Amino acid sequence: MDLLDNLFLGLSVAFTFQNLTYALLGCMVGTLIGVLPGIGPVATIAMLLPITFHLPPTASLIMLAGIYYGAQYGGSTTSILVNLPGEASSVVTCLDGYQMARNGRAGAALSISAVGSFFAGTIGTIIIVIFAEPLTRMAQKFGPADYCSLMALGLVAAVVLASGSITKAISMVFLGLLFGLIGTDVNTGAQRFTFDIPELSDGIDFAPIAMGLFGIAEIVVNLERHLERGGAIKVGSLWPTREEIRRSIPAVLRGTLLGSLLGVLPGGGPTLGAFSAYTLEKKLSKNPGQFGKGAVEGVAAPEAANNAAAQTSFIPMLTLGIPSNAVMALMVGAMIIQGIQPGPEVMTKKPDLFWGMIVSMWIGNAMLVIINLPMIGMWVKLLTVPYRYLAPAILLFCCIGAYSLQNSTFHVMQVAVFGVLGYVFVKLGCEGAPFLLGLVLGPQMEEYFRRAMLLSRGDAMVFIERPISLGLLITTAALLILMALPSIKKAREEAFQEEG
Amino acid sequence: MNRLLTKDFLSGLMFIAFGLGALYVGHHLAVGTPVRMGPGYVPRMLSLILLALGAVVCIVALVSGSEPVERPKWKPITLVTIGIVCFALLFERAGLIPALIVLVMIASLAGEEFKLTEVIGNIVVLSILCTLVFKVGLGMNISVIQGIW
Repeated sequence: MDLLDNLFLGLSVAFTFQNLTYALLGCMVGTLIGVLPGIGPVATIAMLLPITFHLPPTASLIMLAGIYYGAQYGGSTTSILVNLPGEASSVVTCLDGYQMARNGRAGAALSISAVGSFFAGTIGTIIIVIFAEPLTRMAQKFGPADYCSLMALGLVAAVVLASGSITKAISMVFLGLLFGLIGTDVNTGAQRFTFDIPELSDGIDFAPIAMGLFGIAEIVVNLERHLERGGAIKVGSLWPTREEIRRSIPAVLRGTLLGSLLGVLPGGGPTLGAFSAYTLEKKLSKNPGQFGKGAVEGVAAPEAANNAAAQTSFIPMLTLGIPSNAVMALMVGAMIIQGIQPGPEVMTKKPDLFWGMIVSMWIGNAMLVIINLPMIGMWVKLLTVPYRYLAPAILLFCCIGAYSLQNSTFHVMQVAVFGVLGYVFVKLGCEGAPFLLGLVLGPQMEEYFRRAMLLSRGDAMVFIERPISLGLLITTAALLILMALPSIKKAREEAFQEEG
Repeated sequence: MNRLLTKDFLSGLMFIAFGLGALYVGHHLAVGTPVRMGPGYVPRMLSLILLALGAVVCIVALVSGSEPVERPKWKPITLVTIGIVCFALLFERAGLIPALIVLVMIASLAGEEFKLTEVIGNIVVLSILCTLVFKVGLGMNISVIQGIW
């Protein structure tokens, strides 16, 4: 069977010493930044992008993926122990996880969340394996017009699920698309928006922008806010009671299912998965009054959901080349740095990379259980490192990383410029993620748009005449109209209020 | 005044500014026809859409109001930016260690607490770490101290 062949190929790639090492490294870094509040996976992956340039493609993607799902594990640790969510996706875990810790059940909460996450990660990986091939085959039938519409759908859907004002988020997408055009026009060789700066003629580099927008802006905002740390709590026995196990199994199953579904959606991902799973558990529970007072379901379900979603959010990126959230946009950036054009060709042209990465995700999840449970003491100690040591160190790594892209200080200056821009975005309540998605998709989208228009002899009707493209555009329009409906608008605002 | 200093109104102005800027900078790019698009076709299209969206954001903000902008604290953002710029200027001229010292010093000033001994300790640790990781480990072609190593 094809599927088994693919899995064996993946196993043989993932189980090389080099790739195992990078998977472990990624998981360790991911857990570390998950534990440390004030630095998230987006900023970290952005900072490490230049370093991946020196690694082989498979190893670099394995490591970056490890950081992403490692952060989901690490984030839950701090939520449970000190009531500080390391990541946005583990904010809900605080609600009941910390209460469990105060009831002396910290160990049980940690092990349930780790094992639940592992289970969810496994299912997520299986889903990727099953759906990757059919989706890829479908995508290979796409023409330029279809691709252009697919990207439009991806961008709009990402915006709809992002928090805050939709008009602002769409504007951010267009701003990102515009920035993506900087450089030499591929068709005519004309210089666009390069201001006669030679470094810009190859196009604007993705890594310094991401570092500035997410890394630097995040540091500055944290410095303004002055992060406080709570004292560490005793972990206690890692073994859950039989009652706790009985209650968490169905919660983990439901969380996994919900998380997997929401992860595939553009703009979805771990945070949305975790929040929805928590709400679902509370609705289904016989005694919802327990929630917020240390209900084990309130830890198990969101933790499973955020991990499942972290896994399945790879599906649109790997098969269609469409990133569904900021981390996936960075993964696309990492592939482009390595000279790989993300999209359906990746699976056929680079099967070792594709399947190796998928299998390594499962291995990484297994590693994370080990990293997180027996080594919990070490991570707790790390919590005591004050932010005033971390901020300069993070800043320094950003600068050296940016320099190493092309051994040029121009990129370091770029980090400074986009740091300021990122800070402005934060202050004005504009989301960076839609900007990043637009930036990544911009050049490709223009290419497909121009090709489609050339093939149709300048007739824009081509986007409506092709059935695939039409279907995608109708979905896009439907999403936009839905969001404009007053009732849904209100529900959406409430949902994000709860989140904030 | 308060009606104008809101997050949404200022965002709208920012989008309009970017749209106008892109139109101005790209005005010399040939637009071409829909069949044979010139390099300026898509940029012009995007700038015009951005302008329109910016105007919508502004109008909506004026009509239905929006959150006021928090007063920015100038110290962290200014110092962090100065730190990065100094690093960029020093890195090739003076080497990794001098650039590192200046960056960490300035960045530490951006925080609320500044203890010289701690900062020096941080500098020493980071210098050793960066030299080991980037120079020795990754073998990057950088000088640790210009003219010496």
